Amino acid sequence: MSTLSVAGRAWRWALWAWISICIVGAFLYAPLAAKFIGQSSRILFFHVPMAWTSFVAFIAAGVWSILYLWRRDPDQDRAAAAAVEIGLVFCFLATATGAMWARVMWGAWWNWDPRQTSISVVLVFYAAYLVLRGAVEDLEARARLCAAYAVLGLVVAPFFFFVLPRMVSFTLHPDAVINTRAKVEVESRMLQVLLASSLGFNVLFFWMHGVRVRLLRVAARRAPQVELEEVPA
Amino acid sequence: MTAPLVRPVPVQAAAPASSAARAWLAEAGAVFVKDWRTELRTRHALHTLLLFAVTTLVTVSLALGPMGVASSERVAVLPALLWVIVLFAAAAGLPRGFVHEEETHTAIALRLAGTPSAIFCGKALYSASLLLALEALLAPLYVAVMQLPIAQPALLLAALGLGGLGLAIASTLLAAIVAQAQGRAALFPILAFPVLLPLLLLAVELTRGAVAGGVGDAVLTNLALYDATMAVAGLMLFPLVWNP
Repeated sequence: MSTLSVAGRAWRWALWAWISICIVGAFLYAPLAAKFIGQSSRILFFHVPMAWTSFVAFIAAGVWSILYLWRRDPDQDRAAAAAVEIGLVFCFLATATGAMWARVMWGAWWNWDPRQTSISVVLVFYAAYLVLRGAVEDLEARARLCAAYAVLGLVVAPFFFFVLPRMVSFTLHPDAVINTRAKVEVESRMLQVLLASSLGFNVLFFWMHGVRVRLLRVAARRAPQVELEEVPA
Repeated sequence: MTAPLVRPVPVQAAAPASSAARAWLAEAGAVFVKDWRTELRTRHALHTLLLFAVTTLVTVSLALGPMGVASSERVAVLPALLWVIVLFAAAAGLPRGFVHEEETHTAIALRLAGTPSAIFCGKALYSASLLLALEALLAPLYVAVMQLPIAQPALLLAALGLGGLGLAIASTLLAAIVAQAQGRAALFPILAFPVLLPLLLLAVELTRGAVAGGVGDAVLTNLALYDATMAVAGLMLFPLVWNP
């Protein structure tokens, strides 16, 4: 076994250990946040990293789409598609954990808080992206149209993140980490777990993404062979 | 002496910038005129838009009953319903612009004949004129039927104008994407909803301001910004969507 493949195996075990430590830390090491009902603040260590990871995934999908439109490399199209697929999973989990937390803290699963509004539109947008992928047969056209749609998403996104929250003047969403006061307002042990967990989730995303891209590449290579085998003798 | 079969084509010198711009405008104008000419032959989109709008208007009006909405809730409810009607009509009629080109296989000729950006402008202009004509019919009818008092008519015109323009520009780009996919009719609303949502929310907000007064300039600016953003995004992305 070469040194490279040993290292390749080792970092996955390291990631497993890292995320395990984050989970243990979230429950045993980090203190509870003030003004939160019961243990509900602990969901922060999973909800926030998943939301950030999905954000990173969608930005990455946009960048790969721009690269595809520029270079027309099918691998970049696969990378964008895989990023959207996995980003959508993280986004859905962030929405679900957010709704659970909202049930505990605000008394309702869903109440169209600005954050809930924008994340639901993001979910619908990238779900529509996947629907579009399914609706175009020609591979080149599929890559081109989906890339254009993903770039359109990047163009519209600022309106959701900057314009709409201003129209809806209040939010109940805690903003202790990212806020307009330009300083971190989280207890330091909580921040340690939060950042460690975010790093873990992001590395997990890029690992899953690499696997998915390899799968898509294999599927693309196999596709014409399957068609040839189906020709009757 | 018989006339030559092929008329000699005057050889053009390298076109200066101003005449290139004029040629581009002529192209966009030609696409616009062509779209209206084919539309007036069948009146398909015109009828679809109009009947969709009237049907939805009647449904809304009947559902709310002869008393309509309580005056305290009028400002909140009625502007939103107006834009739902406009969105319905637009989703039914606007994707046709490109879907029709693909169905009749004229898209390929258009690809050969025109500059992509000029085609986009011509098509967007056609959609905008169609939608603004519809709004010109619909809005007075809606105001009359719903007994909606308008505090600032200029603001209502701005909302309808900018809202219709943005809707037309975004729909043109989305229609170009949808036309090359399967299940076009169902796909358009799915793709359009998340893209059009900021426009619709801003337009509703502005219409509320026109009814009740007291809306900030920020909403008007943001709506204009959305239109401009979509126009730029359309001009940049359309050539990539249009040309294989």
